[in-house]
Amino acid sequence: MIALTNIKKTFGDNTVLDGIDLVVKKGDVVTILGPSGSGKTTFLRCINFLEKADEGEVSIDQFTVQCQKPNRKDILTLRQKTTMVFQQYNLFKHKTVIENIMEGLVIVQKLPKEEAKQRSLDVLEKVGLAEKANAYPSQLSGGQQQRVGIARALALNPEVILFDEPTSALDPELVGEVLSVIRKIAEEGITMIIVTHEMSFAREVSNHVVFMDGGKIVEQGHPEDIFLNPKEDRTKQFFKRINPTHSPYSYIYEKTI
Amino acid sequence: MIIDVPFIWTAFVEILKALPLTLLITTGPLLGGLLIGIAVAAVRINSVKIITPIANVYVSFFRGTPAILHIMVIYLGFPLFINKLASYYGWGFNANSIPIVVFVLIALSFTAGAYMSEIIRSGLLAVEKGQIEAAYAIGMNRFQSMKRIVFPQAFALSLPNLCNIFIGFLHTSSIAFIVSQKELNGAANIVASNNLKFLEAYIAAALIYWMLTMLIEGITALLERKLTVYNRGGVV
Repeated sequence: MIALTNIKKTFGDNTVLDGIDLVVKKGDVVTILGPSGSGKTTFLRCINFLEKADEGEVSIDQFTVQCQKPNRKDILTLRQKTTMVFQQYNLFKHKTVIENIMEGLVIVQKLPKEEAKQRSLDVLEKVGLAEKANAYPSQLSGGQQQRVGIARALALNPEVILFDEPTSALDPELVGEVLSVIRKIAEEGITMIIVTHEMSFAREVSNHVVFMDGGKIVEQGHPEDIFLNPKEDRTKQFFKRINPTHSPYSYIYEKTI
Repeated sequence: MIIDVPFIWTAFVEILKALPLTLLITTGPLLGGLLIGIAVAAVRINSVKIITPIANVYVSFFRGTPAILHIMVIYLGFPLFINKLASYYGWGFNANSIPIVVFVLIALSFTAGAYMSEIIRSGLLAVEKGQIEAAYAIGMNRFQSMKRIVFPQAFALSLPNLCNIFIGFLHTSSIAFIVSQKELNGAANIVASNNLKFLEAYIAAALIYWMLTMLIEGITALLERKLTVYNRGGVV
C-alpha cells in the first residue's frame, strides 16, 4: 500500500501542490488526470523525490519518509521500491537496450549478471522487443524507446511504477503500441500510478481516477463515476471539453502485442 | 646558405633519441591533469562547500599564467618547501636528490588539470539531466549515477577537446628545455649548435612533432569511433 499524506509544494510564490492525500492499494492502477499546470507531474515526481515536497509524508507499506527533512538513505530506499517511466524515455544512450534494463538489476539489486540478463530478456519479450536487445536507443523509434523504458522499470519488480505522461512525446501512430504494453502489465496486477492525457485509455485501464486542478484533488473515484457522473463543476467542465468517446486523444490499441 | 638535406636525416635520428622523455613529459601531465580535471570539474559542478572557491582560484590562476612560469615556479619553489618540511619532520632528505623531471611533471600536471577541468565540466553538463533522473529513479545513488551514466558519456563528448589538449601539451613539453631537460626540442638545439646546422636540425624536429601529432589524431579518432558508437546508429 502506498500512502501520500498532505503533500505540499511551492515554487517561489506559486503553490503547485496544496495538500494532496492519496492512498493506492496493491494492484491498483491509478490514473491522474487534469489540465496542464494542475500539478500532476510534480505530484508524481514527489513520490520518488525527484522533486522534494515541502511538506507531507510518503509511505510504502511500513516504510515512511517525511518530506520536510528526508535523509539521503531514506530517499534511496524509497527510490529502490519504485521506478518511473518518463515522458522523454530517458534511456541511457551509451548502453544497449539489454544493458539499459540490466543496469538497475546488476548495480542496484546486485543480481549476478547471467540472472539479470535472463530476467531482462524475459521482460523485453513481454514488451515485444526481444529482437532489439543489442540495439542502441538511437536506433529505435520513440514508441520502441518508451517500451524499453517500461521494460527497464518493470524488470526491477518495484512496489509501484510511476508513469509520467508516457505517450505525450510520441507521434500519434506510436501511441497505441505503448498503451497496449501498459495495459498488458496492468492486467498482471502491477501497481501503477499514471499521469496521462489519454482519456479513453485512463477510463479503460484504471480502477481509480484522480482529477486534479490547481494543485488539489478535485474529485476521485471509479472511472465510470468520474467520466459519466462527475460531481464537481470543474470536473464536468473538463470532461465536456474532452469527451472520451469522440476525442482525438483516443487511439486504437494494437492487439497483436 | 645551402640546406644540407642528408643532415636532416642524421639530425632526425639523433633527435629521435629524446622521444621517450618527450612522451613522458607529455603523457604524464595528461594523466595527472585528467585526474585533477575530473576532481575539479566534479567539485565545481556539485558546488562543494569551501573547496569550490579554491578550485575556482586554481583554474583561474593556472589558465591565467603561461606553462613556462608554472615550471619555473614549481622548479624553484617546490624544493624550498620540501626541504622545510624535511627538516621540520627530520626526514633526512634533500630536494636536490629529486630529478628535475619530477618538477616538470608536477608543474605541467597542474597546467593540464586546469584546462582539462573545463573541458570535462562542459562534457558533464552536456549529458541530459533526464538520464540522471532515470538513474535515480531506478535506485542508484549519486556516485553510481555519476560513474555509470554521466562520466562515460561526458568523456566521449569531451574527447575531441581532450585530443586538442593532448596535441597542445606535446608541443608545450618543448619548454621543459628551459630547466635543462633534453627532450625533442632540447635535443634539436643541441644537435643544431654542435654541428652549426640550425635549419636542418629544426626541420628534423618539426617533422618529428608533426608525425607524433598525426599519430595522436589517429589514436583519438579511433577511440572516438569506439566510444561514440551509440550516437551513430550503432554502426561500427
